[in-house]
Amino acid sequence: MTLTGMKKHVSILEQAGLVTTEKVGRVRTCKLGRRRLEEEAAWIERHRQLWSARFDALDELVEHLKREEKADAHRKSK
Amino acid sequence: MLTEKVSSPAAMNRTAVERMSDRELIVTRKFNAPAHIVFEAWSNPELFKQWWVPKSAGMSLISCDMDIRTGGTYRLAFSHPAFDQPMTFFGTYREVTPHKRIVWTNEESDQGAVTTVTFEESDGKTLVTFHELYPTEAALDEALAGSAEGLPEQFAQLDELLAERS
Repeated sequence: MTLTGMKKHVSILEQAGLVTTEKVGRVRTCKLGRRRLEEEAAWIERHRQLWSARFDALDELVEHLKREEKADAHRKSK
Repeated sequence: MLTEKVSSPAAMNRTAVERMSDRELIVTRKFNAPAHIVFEAWSNPELFKQWWVPKSAGMSLISCDMDIRTGGTYRLAFSHPAFDQPMTFFGTYREVTPHKRIVWTNEESDQGAVTTVTFEESDGKTLVTFHELYPTEAALDEALAGSAEGLPEQFAQLDELLAERS
């Protein structure tokens, strides 16, 4: 990666609050914006739990409907 | 990255949630059934009621009006022991393409997302992608913050209520 490319990447991460940077002389030091990342990860995890539970229930229902459809097809073919 | 995740057999039944951009969230899951069955479970109100509200959420769906066709409207009302009033969600179906795609608006606020759910069938299995596009980055942040702050409080209230009754 070029230095210009790297600068672009870092500035996007910085705008998103995912990293913080500090420039001393010619050296720019980056730190992870830990709090923001943790908050977002925690939210994503809660959202995943909701959708997992919801989709597990949908999965069960879909299995049931699939069996019914097969049973129907079987009856009709007789 | 996402397609890699859902195509690997071990991850097939995993529910994945990703923030795709400042304004978009997606949830994906693969179901072991053809698209017409998954679509039916999503678009028939009697079936939809059976899975939309996870038991663990402690909420119940008290009414569910869904006029599933392009231009039709929906209205869902939920009750929860911690709410005084039922919570309602409503909007319009912008597009309903049987067995493929449903797009609806969320009109509870003017910052509501537009939700698109797609059903992609291959080899008798269906990949469901639930995509929410918020009008602004702030609206998505607020949705994130709202659910993050709201839920623990609701659960704490529910815990109290259950403790009182036990």
